[in-house]
Amino acid sequence: MVVLGIETTCDETAAALVERGADGRGRILSNIVLSQNDEHAAFGGVVPEIAARAHVEVLDLLIARAMQEAGLTFPQIDGVAAAAGPGLIGGVIVGLTTAKAMALVNQKPLIAVNHLEAHALTARLTDGVPFPYCLFLASGGHTQIVAVRGVGDYVLLGNTLDDAIGEAFDKTAKLLGLGYPGGPQVEQEATRGDASRFTLPRPMFARHDANFSLSGLKTALRLEAEKIAPLSDQDVSDLCASFQQAVVDVVSDRLRVGLRLFRERYGAPTALVAAGGVAANQAIGKALHKLAFQIGTRLIVPPPALCTDNGAMIAWAGAERLAAGLTDGLDIAPRARWPLEEVAGPRAMTDPHPASRI
Amino acid sequence: MRVLAIDTALEACSAAVLDTEQAAILASESHIMVRGHAEALMPLIASVMAQASLRFSELDRIAVTVGPGSFTGLRVGIAAARGIGLAAAKPVVGLTTLTALAAPYIAADDSLPIAAVIDARHSHVYLQLFGTGGRTLIPPRIVPLREAVHAAAAASARLVGSGACMIAQNWSNQEPPQLVDERRAPDIDWVARVGAAADENQSAPKPLYLRAPDAHPQSAAQLPRR
Repeated sequence: MVVLGIETTCDETAAALVERGADGRGRILSNIVLSQNDEHAAFGGVVPEIAARAHVEVLDLLIARAMQEAGLTFPQIDGVAAAAGPGLIGGVIVGLTTAKAMALVNQKPLIAVNHLEAHALTARLTDGVPFPYCLFLASGGHTQIVAVRGVGDYVLLGNTLDDAIGEAFDKTAKLLGLGYPGGPQVEQEATRGDASRFTLPRPMFARHDANFSLSGLKTALRLEAEKIAPLSDQDVSDLCASFQQAVVDVVSDRLRVGLRLFRERYGAPTALVAAGGVAANQAIGKALHKLAFQIGTRLIVPPPALCTDNGAMIAWAGAERLAAGLTDGLDIAPRARWPLEEVAGPRAMTDPHPASRI
Repeated sequence: MRVLAIDTALEACSAAVLDTEQAAILASESHIMVRGHAEALMPLIASVMAQASLRFSELDRIAVTVGPGSFTGLRVGIAAARGIGLAAAKPVVGLTTLTALAAPYIAADDSLPIAAVIDARHSHVYLQLFGTGGRTLIPPRIVPLREAVHAAAAASARLVGSGACMIAQNWSNQEPPQLVDERRAPDIDWVARVGAAADENQSAPKPLYLRAPDAHPQSAAQLPRR
């Protein structure tokens, strides 16, 4: 089956076509992503109304291009999937409404995909990872450890109590005047810096739950920086290196606990899977490798273009849901907030007592 | 020409199908709605197409209101119209809510001016002023209430739209306005008629916000560099 996927939950407008074979293998036929970075750079972060305005100007053109690159016409597709949340509601409305229109006109099933679910299932598109696996999802908007047990069967093992990791990187970059998005900038500065110069906290260290907290780290960084302002180039590099090292330590510690919780409840995971833009950070990537090696599982990190927001992951999640018989009506509502655990799966229909949830 | 018309820019969720050859509205539905357009619109479109017994491939164009109005609302309509246009390979035309509000009155009597006014909050209105023959004297813009009163009164204009009463209450002429129709959304049948007449090359289905996004560059948090 071939599914069209639409992604508009944040500041990327994306459309893609993905094929899912009868054997469950995936193939990307086209994958178009238009980033709005320039439009938000002056504001030091994503401005929801600016994002929504940009989505509606270009989405239909991107879909047309995705269809053309895949060499397909609408009657040849089997379903239309859109990210229906969670995310910035103005953008979600544009993507979901467009998907509904495509589905109605072509008499194809609509699949309302949870954006986080799409990140969670990407490793099955790229590497065919079998269930159950442990997902570390870290981006500008999310920081979660999730037990992925099946399509529509997700258990949250850990979550951030405040800022997302990507958000902490962005705020650090903003504080130090490094521009937006901040992740790559901070990482680059950190390569020239001394990670031991500033003593920063490792919030939540050794706690028995697998939750994160980043806001204290961000505040500690600001206090250290204010002490020595105005900042030299070396100061900035050292601050970035110290900050990144603290994040690496936090991720290693929290994920170690998360993986332990996973094993206790569900046995050994088939893999540790990373997703979200933060996975592109090389220092964090190294820490994940080390951790996976230590616990004797393999690490799967999809290529960067499939870790950050894209349409292929939405199309793939749509195909997985469609294959499981899960479709949605044209009256489905877009959702700004939509926790992964509230995503419906096949078992929810037959089993009134789904697996225990935390 | 067969036209599917869509309006979700103001306080209604509406769709209609017009056939100009039969000079008939084949189907038309409108629901008063402040929010919830994103959920309601597509089933509504399916319903009017079924009532009109038409397939999307049998349409000649899609017409949609592009604002001014609720930012979110007008994007629902435009996203739907452009999505249908792409999927059915049909052209999409955009028209302003102000034109659609004024159209029935211009059609009834085009010797009298009419001001379409939509409440834009904070003592501002979206205004378009039409003179004799339906010519635009003031193109769509956002103006302080006072300015809109002045312009409408100077032209002795009829008033239509959610801001009509606000203008009438502050009227500065001795003669009261000849007509005050405080309707909250355009008649969808007129969206279809104006859409049928619109020039495809001059009516891109792009949002008309008339207001910049509420955002300010942030630099205050940044620490000084040496």
